[in-house]
Amino acid sequence: MNRRFFIRSGGVALASFGLMSATPSFLQRVVLGQTREGSAGGRRKTLIAIFQRGAVDGLNMVVPHGERAYYDLRPSIAVARPQPGNDESALDLDGFFGLHPSLRSFKPLWDSKRLAIVHAAGSPDNTRSHFDAQDYMESATPGVKSTADGWLNRYLQSKPDRERSLFRAVSLTQTMPRVLQGKAPTLAISNLADFNIRAGQSSASVQGGFEAIYGQAVNDVLAGTGKETFEAVNYLKKVNPAQYQPENGAQYPRTPFGNSLLQIAQLIKAGVGLEIAFTDVGGWDTHVNEGNARGQLGNLLQQFSNGIAALYTDLGRRMDDVVILTMSEFGRTARENGNLGTDHGHANAMFVLGNSVRGGKVYGQWPGLKSEQLYEGRDLALTTDFRDVFGEIAGRHLGTSNLQSVFPGYASSAAKFRGFLE
Amino acid sequence: MKYGHRQGAFPLARTTGVLLVTVALLSAGIIGGRAQNSAAAKSRSDHSKSRLTEDQRVLHVLNRLGFGARPGDVAHVKAIGPDSYIEQQLHPEKINDAVAEAKVRDLATLKMTTAELYEKYPQPGQLLRQLERRGELPAELGATRRDRRSKDEAPASQPNAGAVMEMPATPPATPEVTKKKEQKASDTADPRDNQKYRQAIRQYYMENGLQPPQRISAELQASRILRAVYSERQLEEVMVDFWTNHFNVFAGKGADRWLLVSYDRDTIRPNAMGKFSDLLLATAESPAMLFYLDNFQSVSPTAQLGVGNRGQGGPLAQMLMGERIIARRQLRMTNNPEQQRPQQQARRGINENYARELMELHTLGVDGGYTQKDVQEVARCFTGWTIFAPRGAGAAAQAIMDGPRAERLRENAGRFFFNPRAHDDGEKVVLGQKIPAGGGMKDGLVVLDILAHHPATARFIATKLVRHFVADEAPAGLVDRVAAAFSKSDGDISATLRAIFFSPEFNSQQAYRAKVKRPFELTISAIRTLGGETNGGPQLHQWIARMGEPLYGFQTPNGYSDTAESWVNAGGLLERLNFGLMLASNRIPGTRVDLHQFLSSDGQAPDKIMERFLNLIVAGDIAPKTKEVLMKQLNEQTALIVPAMTRETLSTNQSLSGDEFETQRPQRQGQQPARAGATITDPVTKIVGLILGSPEFQRQ
Repeated sequence: MNRRFFIRSGGVALASFGLMSATPSFLQRVVLGQTREGSAGGRRKTLIAIFQRGAVDGLNMVVPHGERAYYDLRPSIAVARPQPGNDESALDLDGFFGLHPSLRSFKPLWDSKRLAIVHAAGSPDNTRSHFDAQDYMESATPGVKSTADGWLNRYLQSKPDRERSLFRAVSLTQTMPRVLQGKAPTLAISNLADFNIRAGQSSASVQGGFEAIYGQAVNDVLAGTGKETFEAVNYLKKVNPAQYQPENGAQYPRTPFGNSLLQIAQLIKAGVGLEIAFTDVGGWDTHVNEGNARGQLGNLLQQFSNGIAALYTDLGRRMDDVVILTMSEFGRTARENGNLGTDHGHANAMFVLGNSVRGGKVYGQWPGLKSEQLYEGRDLALTTDFRDVFGEIAGRHLGTSNLQSVFPGYASSAAKFRGFLE
Repeated sequence: MKYGHRQGAFPLARTTGVLLVTVALLSAGIIGGRAQNSAAAKSRSDHSKSRLTEDQRVLHVLNRLGFGARPGDVAHVKAIGPDSYIEQQLHPEKINDAVAEAKVRDLATLKMTTAELYEKYPQPGQLLRQLERRGELPAELGATRRDRRSKDEAPASQPNAGAVMEMPATPPATPEVTKKKEQKASDTADPRDNQKYRQAIRQYYMENGLQPPQRISAELQASRILRAVYSERQLEEVMVDFWTNHFNVFAGKGADRWLLVSYDRDTIRPNAMGKFSDLLLATAESPAMLFYLDNFQSVSPTAQLGVGNRGQGGPLAQMLMGERIIARRQLRMTNNPEQQRPQQQARRGINENYARELMELHTLGVDGGYTQKDVQEVARCFTGWTIFAPRGAGAAAQAIMDGPRAERLRENAGRFFFNPRAHDDGEKVVLGQKIPAGGGMKDGLVVLDILAHHPATARFIATKLVRHFVADEAPAGLVDRVAAAFSKSDGDISATLRAIFFSPEFNSQQAYRAKVKRPFELTISAIRTLGGETNGGPQLHQWIARMGEPLYGFQTPNGYSDTAESWVNAGGLLERLNFGLMLASNRIPGTRVDLHQFLSSDGQAPDKIMERFLNLIVAGDIAPKTKEVLMKQLNEQTALIVPAMTRETLSTNQSLSGDEFETQRPQRQGQQPARAGATITDPVTKIVGLILGSPEFQRQ
């Protein structure tokens, strides 16, 4: 028996008063909550976190074209300085930085100040192991492996959800990522269409059986969960994920990543109380033949940015309450290697998007790429700890008042925020 | 989150919760036996008053000491008596286990040394680089490799899928001339090249008698499933599962995929029921743990390794240092030394990871009274405990060319060895105990001895065992007694378990069905209860993974949780229900149940059918309302006809041979049609699916 059992059973009991028996009880809470919060002036905020697994080459993603050393270090794979009319050159942002040309769909968002960049950000730990660095980025405790939960889960714990939405935190992945693991309830669904009872033609009848079985045993934590699970299943059915039509002419890439983003949009529009959405996209470990304006990295970036831009378009005004954050475990060597690629490095670039973002600016201090400025003689040095980026989002966007519990062992404070959020 | 802690933290919340709920339920007019239930919860500590009935005890013992009853097990345990059954299980070495051994006999990897696994199950990228270095890369393979697109090189997007995350530190040496051309080729690469490349690799593997490394994990997982389903030494299998989580190692971390075979066979299994100190030492020396928690690269900062040591740094020394160091040295020689030095210094040195987890997770527990200083001192003690050619001997053996030394290197790849040259031989103080200078490998042994016999360890292990075998909230009194039994028996695991199994707490109503099964336990018990057959293949394991517990798939060192709150969530529950339906309808390739066998004797009257399966699966002990629901379902369905299961339905099932081991690829997320579901065409399958999904069967 634990506390959650009682809370959950309480919820079930409330529903059985029959006050609002037509709608699922967790949705009642969400709807009630939104009304309540709405009258108090606040609305539910959502964070969409996207992990670029494999360590994206931040120096070719957000190109320091104003830095001569960049071109010296990368004779074959550098992205050319911005040149009007040359669509294989960097897209200038501020005279010093430019976007990789495959990020073209980000440019309008930059111009309308909805896209901010934090450069030279990452983990202060110097590990160059994908495994360890992803672990640290997700636990947000660099150097400490025994941390049991991920920082997004600790955020959920730090701010109790009055509505206890079943869809408060959803990972569009097959297994629960480290960043969402922990004692706050979360869901991992790789495909919304799978979130049901799958028994062919008898699905409805079998589900009816389960609902009846789980519906009656209120004294059991399993039964409580069962009841709420079926409420969620039935609600999703009404939402009908298979028939989804993106709005505003948004076109998602027909890739697993594009599909994950599309499903996140569905959940947000369904009003199920989504607060944290997570997904990831791999393929960034470009040791060989990385390419410059075109090639491996370019192809990946195109899919990446087109997906995010489609999500932005699709969500329209809803982006007032949504922030999209991208991250990758570490950057890559400043110097290209002998195989026209790059090896594991250190600091990296992160994108932050949303209508509440103070965009059109590259945040953070630029450490430079001259030999003596490089970290350990080879990598982009770090000037922003990723916990300051995460902290700003957890504090200013999601509104936790307890940053200490989200980032244990770190003196998180607004003074360290970069200021990309109002 | 530990229950004990939570209980301590929210005593008020709990009591209030009880009251609120009771009030809510009363007013809602659905009271039933609820008040009685919360009263029972309150008197939870008083275990002696409510002993199990004899029938319950038989089931309880079969569920907790093993993975549930097979048809006939209940009768057997009743006949010999639960006490003798427990005694038998406490001495697995005396139980004949020929059936289970025969089931795993064809899993070739289980008998191989790590070195053999590296040779026969190489990682494609690594293999190609070796061939290239030797100038033996077949032309066609080389060509398709250059043409392939990025995706093959990318690490999987999901760490838990068990992909090998760490890419090699040294980039391959590509032939010099064609660089520009290659780049062009890659720009305009035909998407089919990806497939061509894979095909070429497959071809090469086939012609040379090689297999993909994923097969190693698949066979290891299969062996765990097969033994859990078929072994007569059920308690030993439960303990293997317990210790595998206690001393967790993640297959997705670098070389651990190859090292885990020996870990299960040589480290965990032989010590699962013996002395804790032996088990602890075995894990400390296991390459799998040394790799997982980085100790293999923990080197004293004052060690004699590497730079300036070339005089005595002949091939043998290089062998001893492991290929990483060789690779680094090569890197240093070919690159500007000025720029390599900082990284060298950063990489060499003490790694505290193992030292910390050894105390926090393996022995003392997080509140076990050690300090950061102790962590540092313990880390110093374990410097030099490392792995011989930790990532396989290929590159290193190549570096010293052929001959007896290369041969030796190949044979010993992936084995533990103590490297005195990497060891910090100064004096240390661990938990107040002085460890004199010059101890060499003995330093680590002394530390393990201190930890294995520390009272905090006895308490920590006792708490975890009681939580596993009795209840999520381990009764404090029992923990005390079990810790005492642990200490008194010098950490004898059997003796410690005996103290649990014969305790009033274990044998109380409060413990009955108090544990929610973990996905592995649910899967195995479902197959066992229906007398099913399985080959343990990936198609079955995938279900365990979907429910949230892929074997060797837990990333962090704390292992899978042993309390209900981690497992009772919407996503996991749905997959549990779907699993039951898939199993009952024989839709899991490589696994098969014959429900027909349970119908033969007393005809097909719906109530008889239902009683039969209720007795079989939940010992007839199920909520009356559930029975009503099932009956309704059964009647509803019989009206819809469709004959009961025939032999034919069974034979459409895929063969139980190993074929599907080959075809498994990690599943990609998204953009996929909804998964195929079970096809429920007859009432019996439906009823069995529903009972397997009932709250009662989720518990043990």
